[in-house]
Amino acid sequence: MMHTSTAIDMQDRFLRGENSAVSIVQHFLQRIARYDKQIGSFLSVNETKALERAEHLDKKRASGRPLGKLAAIPVSIKDNILVKGCLATCGSKFLSNFIAPYDATATRLLEEEDAIIIGKTNCDEFAMGSSTENSALQMTYNPWNLKCTPGGSSGGSGAAVAGRLSPLSLGSDTGGSVRQPASFCGVVGFKPTYGRISRSGLVAYGSSLDQIGPMAACTADVALLMEVLGRSCEKDSTTIPKGPEDYLSKMDGSIRGLKVGVPWQFLEGLLPEAKRVFDQGLEILKSLGAAVVEVDLSLLKYSIPAYYIIATAEASTNLARFDGIRYGVRSPRSHTLEEIYDLSKEEGFGPEVKRRILLGTYVLSAGYQDDYYKKAQKVRTLIIKQYRDAFQKCGIIASPVSPFPAFEIGSIRDPLQMYLVDIYNIGVNLAGVPAISIPSGFCHEGKPIGLQLIGPQMHDVDVLRAANAFEQATDFHQAIPPEYAV
Amino acid sequence: MSKLTKETIKKLTQLSRIACTEEEQESLLRDLEKVLVYFEQLNEIDTENVEPCNHVIPDIVNVMREDEVGPTLPQEEFFRNAPAKPFDGMIRVPPVLKQG
Repeated sequence: MMHTSTAIDMQDRFLRGENSAVSIVQHFLQRIARYDKQIGSFLSVNETKALERAEHLDKKRASGRPLGKLAAIPVSIKDNILVKGCLATCGSKFLSNFIAPYDATATRLLEEEDAIIIGKTNCDEFAMGSSTENSALQMTYNPWNLKCTPGGSSGGSGAAVAGRLSPLSLGSDTGGSVRQPASFCGVVGFKPTYGRISRSGLVAYGSSLDQIGPMAACTADVALLMEVLGRSCEKDSTTIPKGPEDYLSKMDGSIRGLKVGVPWQFLEGLLPEAKRVFDQGLEILKSLGAAVVEVDLSLLKYSIPAYYIIATAEASTNLARFDGIRYGVRSPRSHTLEEIYDLSKEEGFGPEVKRRILLGTYVLSAGYQDDYYKKAQKVRTLIIKQYRDAFQKCGIIASPVSPFPAFEIGSIRDPLQMYLVDIYNIGVNLAGVPAISIPSGFCHEGKPIGLQLIGPQMHDVDVLRAANAFEQATDFHQAIPPEYAV
Repeated sequence: MSKLTKETIKKLTQLSRIACTEEEQESLLRDLEKVLVYFEQLNEIDTENVEPCNHVIPDIVNVMREDEVGPTLPQEEFFRNAPAKPFDGMIRVPPVLKQG
């Protein structure tokens, strides 16, 4: 069955002529047609273009020309990342008619390696949320349990990979938005070191935190995407000026002797089921020769207030550009220039986006900036330092991804309660360090639970190696939601 | 840190140019109030003599390039997303100045 194989095997079989690109694309298009009515992971599907591109790749192969690292592999892309000629709604009414006029750098790099972009995935509006329920356009359901959310904000990407509707997907992670849906959907999701993947063409939310992240069914496929995407870019001056790395070959190997730090104090109060799976994960790492040591990340209990001050401040600045003048949906009720701004934003933005814009405007406003924004930036300095000290004692930090498995749709209504969901994820973004979520077990209801492995800045390969070693010793990542296995 | 009022909410909606009904302002006040109270716990941390974080990657340097014109988006492609029919190569908006 084509959809149960890894992207690496899929590419290999295409290169050897066992599967044509057209047959691969058709297989996944059929799966989308069959299953996505239930799951709701895609906002738009590129049927015609994907098939055209597959035909082109089949010809390219037949003519013996060299093929890229992602040849014939379908990739889905979160709808806040631009793909030229495709809708890029960001899950917002405001951009519901917006067609990307150019490619994001990440998109361009995928296509240069002969990937096939199969469609755009649902997300919380402008990536603001932890359940994909904030999408103004459609609901996405968790393939493991359709009553539950897929997590968010990259919930469409998580659900699409979990349902094997696309073998690879790109999400974005500002405060856990790749790792948390990966955990809820039982797939692998990686947030690289800040600046490893170009943000050019990613619609900005919190620019000092945003990072595009690959999602796949296994760590090797994530490493493959990192080989293609992890490079500096002249269009994003925050990309790290370093050449690409050989993630796949460097990630192989043992983790014997690796010190794994656990911030026990910060993890106090972990719910029993999450604790059981986390403890079991640590035992597996120990059985592979890793040693568990305690590290102090006690400041992370302040990561949520610091994050929501910094992220909303940046969001209020970034989202000011959506004014209804040059693109986006202009309010039909508007008759003056002022009304274009006021009414287009009123009609175009959902409640969470409005809350965050107003909050960001408040924390940046005269008289409060020192109390909130500057204070949060100082706390961020201390959090970065605490991570740095922790990494003096260990090579990798382990933590849960989420305090609980996927929650039911509609069950968290209070905005502040929803912010707390990402308590274990947000510190990583504040410190700009790389972190991965990998499948590590199931709750008693059969919903997946992820394990988070975190490395120091620029040690992306070490994170992938630890994840890969864990995966080699377990089979959690091979589980497919039963309804979508065939 | 201060208490949020309905006037502040009104001012914030004006600053960020989002029209807002009275009802919406009420619920925003309730939600944001709660979040701001939650933010106050940051005051438990002593940040005396701590530098605010300006960039998360240490030793970042300015990236410079020659000031050369590269490829740009053709006007007709740009206008595909314009909310009103363009006029004479320009984006259309309602009159900004009143007549008379």
